[in-house]
Amino acid sequence: MKPIYLDYAATTPVRAEVRDAMAPYLDQCFGNPSSTHRWGREAAAALADARHEIADVLGARFSEICFTRGGTESDNLAVCGRAAWHMARGESPSVAVSAVEHKAVLDAARQACADGRGCCTVVGVSPDGTVDVDAIDAALAQAPTVVSMMWVNNETGMILPVPEVTDRVKAAGGTMHTDAVQAVGKVPVRVDETPVDLLTVTGHKIYGPKGTGALFMRRGVEVAPLLHGGGQERTLRPGTEDVAGAVGLATALRLAVEERDEQAAHQGALRTLLETLLHDAIPDLRIHGGDARRAHHVVSVGVSGVDGRSLLMSLDLEGVAASGGSACQSGSTKGSHVVAALYGADDAYATLRFSFSRHSTEDDVRRAAEVTGRVVARLREGAPV
Amino acid sequence: MSRVLVAMSGGVDSSVAAALLVDAGHEVVGVTMKTFCYSGVEDHGKTCCGLDGIADARRVAVALGMPHYVFDVEEDFTRDVIDDFVSEYARGRTPNPCVRCNSNTKFRDLLARGRELGCDRIATGHYVRMRHGPDRSDLLRGRDARKDQSYFLWGLPPSLLPRLLFPVGDLTKDEVRAQARALELVTAEKPESQEICFVPSGDYRDLLQKRLGPVHPALEPGPLVDSDGREVGRHDGYAGFTVGQRKGLGGGFDAPMYVLAIHADTRTVVVGSRDELYAERVEVGEVNWLSEDVPGPGREVLVQLRYRAPAVPAVVRSDGEDGTLALQLRQEVAAVTPGQSAVVFDGERVLGGGRIVRAGRTAGV
Repeated sequence: MKPIYLDYAATTPVRAEVRDAMAPYLDQCFGNPSSTHRWGREAAAALADARHEIADVLGARFSEICFTRGGTESDNLAVCGRAAWHMARGESPSVAVSAVEHKAVLDAARQACADGRGCCTVVGVSPDGTVDVDAIDAALAQAPTVVSMMWVNNETGMILPVPEVTDRVKAAGGTMHTDAVQAVGKVPVRVDETPVDLLTVTGHKIYGPKGTGALFMRRGVEVAPLLHGGGQERTLRPGTEDVAGAVGLATALRLAVEERDEQAAHQGALRTLLETLLHDAIPDLRIHGGDARRAHHVVSVGVSGVDGRSLLMSLDLEGVAASGGSACQSGSTKGSHVVAALYGADDAYATLRFSFSRHSTEDDVRRAAEVTGRVVARLREGAPV
Repeated sequence: MSRVLVAMSGGVDSSVAAALLVDAGHEVVGVTMKTFCYSGVEDHGKTCCGLDGIADARRVAVALGMPHYVFDVEEDFTRDVIDDFVSEYARGRTPNPCVRCNSNTKFRDLLARGRELGCDRIATGHYVRMRHGPDRSDLLRGRDARKDQSYFLWGLPPSLLPRLLFPVGDLTKDEVRAQARALELVTAEKPESQEICFVPSGDYRDLLQKRLGPVHPALEPGPLVDSDGREVGRHDGYAGFTVGQRKGLGGGFDAPMYVLAIHADTRTVVVGSRDELYAERVEVGEVNWLSEDVPGPGREVLVQLRYRAPAVPAVVRSDGEDGTLALQLRQEVAAVTPGQSAVVFDGERVLGGGRIVRAGRTAGV
C-alpha cells in the first residue's frame, strides 16, 4: 500500500511554482543584497519584490515586513523582542499568552519574563474556542502589556478570537501579537482589517521552503533585536538575507491566499468525511474543538484507553503518517499541552492529528480512517497483531 | 504477522544486527531508547546524552529501509537503573548498571511496548548466542571470547528467552566491522563505548553528588583501616572506592595497599596487602535462573565474577529458597566485589546469576 501522508500541519512539500521562482536566486542571481554592484542590485530588487508581495497579501506596508528564518524566530522576535524593548526603557512588561500557543510563544514568553522584570500570564481557552477575557483584562491592567494569541491553533485547527482580543488589547494600549503560521491561506488574515501590531508567518506550512518566515511589525511598534550584526532588516534581523527563501515565501504566501477559498472547500469536505468515518469506527472518540470554529485543514481526535505513542507508531507501520499533538513534541512522553489545556491531562488518552493539503484525496481519508479504526481496536484489545 | 524489534544504540554492533535481520527477510522495527537527561534540568529533551546515538541509529535504519522509533524510557530507566546505581554506591557496593538495564529496561520493557507494534521477538547487538530448541532456549557465550557479553544478561526474565535473537553472537568484532563496512553503514568505524551511558564524563561521583545531595555519608571523609581495624589513614568518601582499587589511598605504606572492603555503616574503607584480597567463598543475592536447570548443592559449575574475567570452577554450597546462592570457588580469586555480578555457567551456557553480597576466605563469610 502506498503510504499516506496526512501530516501537512507539520510541514508541506515545496510546490513547483515556488521552486521555480526560487531557482534563479540559488545560482544565477546569487548576489548579496547589500552589495553595491549589479549582482547585489539584482538580489536587492528580488528581495524588495518579495517584501512587496508579502505586504500586499497581508494588507501591510512594505517597510512593515521583516524577514526572519522561520516561525519560531518571528515569534521570539515579537514576544521577547517587544518585552525587551519595554525593559530597555525601564518598564516591567506584563506578557499574556493563551494556553494553547505553540511552544515557540509559550517558551518565549517565559523567557521574556525569566529575569523577574516582567510577569507572564497564561490565558485559558475553552474547548468551544472562547478565551478567558478576564485574564487578559487583568494582564492589561498592568501596563505595558504584550499579548500573544495564535490565530489558528496548530494542533486542533481551532480559530481563536484574534480580532476581538486585538480590539481589547489596542483599547487598553497594549501590544498585540498573533502567530498566524497556521492561519494564512486557511482563514482571511489581513492586518489592515485586524489591527494587530505583530504577526508571524512561515513558508513551510504553505508549500514554501523550511527556514523561511517573516514578522509583520506595524509602523511605530518597536522591538529590540535578538541578534546583532550587520544592518539588514533595519537591524532587527541582521545577517545576509536569504533571497531565494524570501522569494519562495512570498510566492507560497500569495498562492496560498489565492487558493484559500477553493482549498477551504476541498479540505473542508475531507475533514467532514474523516470525522464521520472516524466516528463510525470509534464511536467514543472525541473531536477536539468540535464545538469551536475551526480551520479546514486539521482534524484532532482523542482516543481513550490506548497509548498515543504506540498508536502513532502502529499507524506509521501501516503506512499512515499522522501526528500526536504537534510534530515538534513527537516522542515525548508528555501528551499534548494543548489538549491538556482544553480538556485536562489524562495519561491514558491518545491525541491524534490528521492534517490535509491541496494534495490530499478522499481515498487517502477513507484508507486512513479504516487503518485507524483497525489499529485502535487492536490496541484496545491489548493483543499482539 | 510477526515483527522483530531490534534495539539500536547507534553503535556498530546493533547496526549490523539490524542489517542481518533485514537481510534474513524479517520485518524489523528499530527502536532506540532515550534513557536519561544528564543536564539535571527539569525541562527535558534538550541536552540529553545519547542524542547522537539516536541520530546514528536513525541514519542506519533509513539506509536499511526499515522503520525506527525512539522510546522514551527515562522514567523507568531512572528508577530501575540510575537510582539503583546510586543506592548501591551509597551502600558501599560497586554496581553493574548494564546488568540492571538488561534485566529490566532493554528487554522486558522494550518488548512490552514493542508488542503493541506487533513485535513478538526482540534482537540486540550483544555478543551472545541463543540456542532455540523445541522445549528450551539456552543463552550461550558469544563466539568472540574477547567480546562475549553473557556476563551482563543473567538477569533476563526466563519467559523472554524464546523471544530473543542475537544476530552478531556468531560473529567476531572484526567480522561485524567488516559487515558494517561492506554495507557502508555510517556506524562502521564508530569506536567502542566504554563509559556508562548516563555518566558521559566518566566520573560517576558527579552523578552521586547530584543525586545524593551535597551532604551524604558516602561522599564524606572517613577512616582507612587495616584488616585488624587500626586506622592507617583517611579517605575522601567511600563511594569513590571499589574492592581491589589501589589508587586514591594515599602513600606512606610499606607495601602496595588495596581496598579489601567498604563498610557503609561506619564509612570505613578497609585496606590491606594483595594477598588479603583473595577469596574462595562467595555469597550471592537476588539470584535469577534462566531455566528449570537450577544447580543444587554439590553441583560443579563455572562462575564468572567480573566482566572480562575468566570463569573459575566452583561448587554450589547452597541455593537458598530466598534467592541467595553460596559458592565455594575451586581456586582463590582476587577482588571479588560486592555489587558486581556472579554469573553461573555450565560450560558455555548461562544458568543464571546474582549480585555478589559478600566474599571471603573463611566459612564466616
